[in-house]
Amino acid sequence: MLELVTTDRGTTDIEGAEAVQSFESLLELVAGGDQQAFSELYDRTAPRVLGLVKRVLIDHAQSEEVAQEVFLEIWRTATKFEATRGNAMSWMLTMAHRRAIDRVRSSQAGHDRDERIGLRDIEPDYDQVSETVEIRIEHERVKRAMDKLTALQREAISLAYYGGYSHTEVAGLLSIPVGTVKTRLRDGMIRLRDELGVTS
Amino acid sequence: MTERHDDSDPRLLTGAYSLDALSPEEAEAFEREAASSESLRDETDELTLTSTVLGLAVAPVTPSDRMKAELMAKLPLTPQLPRETPLSASETPETSSAEQVPDAPAASIAEPPASSGAAHQRAQSRWFTRPVGILTAVAAAAALFVGGGFVGSAVINANTTTTTIDASASQLAAITAADDVQRKVVDVADGGKATLVWSNDLGRSAVLVDGLSGLPDGKVYEAWYINGDGAIPAGTFTASSDGMTWHVLSGAMKSGDAIGVTVEPAGGSTAPTTTPILVGQSA
Repeated sequence: MLELVTTDRGTTDIEGAEAVQSFESLLELVAGGDQQAFSELYDRTAPRVLGLVKRVLIDHAQSEEVAQEVFLEIWRTATKFEATRGNAMSWMLTMAHRRAIDRVRSSQAGHDRDERIGLRDIEPDYDQVSETVEIRIEHERVKRAMDKLTALQREAISLAYYGGYSHTEVAGLLSIPVGTVKTRLRDGMIRLRDELGVTS
Repeated sequence: MTERHDDSDPRLLTGAYSLDALSPEEAEAFEREAASSESLRDETDELTLTSTVLGLAVAPVTPSDRMKAELMAKLPLTPQLPRETPLSASETPETSSAEQVPDAPAASIAEPPASSGAAHQRAQSRWFTRPVGILTAVAAAAALFVGGGFVGSAVINANTTTTTIDASASQLAAITAADDVQRKVVDVADGGKATLVWSNDLGRSAVLVDGLSGLPDGKVYEAWYINGDGAIPAGTFTASSDGMTWHVLSGAMKSGDAIGVTVEPAGGSTAPTTTPILVGQSA
């Protein structure tokens, strides 16, 4: 099981305060049609989901639209989430990333975005001031792991994940064969997995 | 570390798949391969989990209040997938929306299109004092009553300030998130559907219409609470330019009040002057 740092300010135990529910148990309630639980889940995770979507799409209004679709899908498919084997935050972020990618590839959005940012801006600025300690720790952890990759692996992974480019597009952007991109992505991700200590 | 460049080896695609870097066709083909190979599946799961750590490292962005309000408004309109194995689901206030939908239109009182004649006006003016039970029939009749004014001209949203939208958005969120929230789907005169949501605990309600037609200059929609005392004005609103129109009714709602919407002159009226485009009774 991956140890994702999914705590936020709310999960710190405060004496006398009502125990804060895990994202997994909130999802379980959402699956039963509990709108109050959905509201709480939203409050605690929306900035994360929107942050990721906006990282890929750049445009704020479009990102809100896509993030809203993500949450509607969470509502719709919470019944399919298997609390016993999944991490709720990971499930939600995977959905968010896929939706953002779908949007960027299916529309003018990708083109517009490419005109607004240069390729060199794709990699996130891990040094920016973060809102919470947890997120700063998370940044530090990912940054350290990313540092272990070769520059070429880092570049390919950033273009794919944060830039939303397909492996074919990455190959075109870097003028290298698709097979080379596939290898860089896989070797890089395996290295990251090992650095981050992820096991399933 | 593999340096194979054999494009036909699906194992080479685990990294690209975990980063959503495959085309939909490639991803589908990959999933078929993974379904029959446990080791391929394990590697894919691990790398996908790893990719979400990349997602967690992104700086959070605070969404607008409006985003939540719209989302909460859409929940009652979005059915959830059934569970694979039936569990004892926690209580849901609305188990069957079908039985709450008003009876199918049975009315045949086809009014001629509005000529706004005085007699016509008089005939329409007191619909709200009739027993609530027949209001649905009136609404059904109103469905046949499509005045020229409804022809979708430019949508007006000019006189609503952003502050008003945000305030009303958080009120809507409060209603839809209330423990005792209830909803009802009713017909709209132009053939669409509206959703009424209310909370008796809060004494508040809202009406939501997807794709409500815009009105010509000088006309607004006005909401009403209707009960034994007649119709009480509950605020005016215009159609939203981006799909979902909602209005949080002003004033307090009592359980059993009917909620109605009419078209009124700009500024609103103190009593309805036209037939409602939608009516539904709360419980």
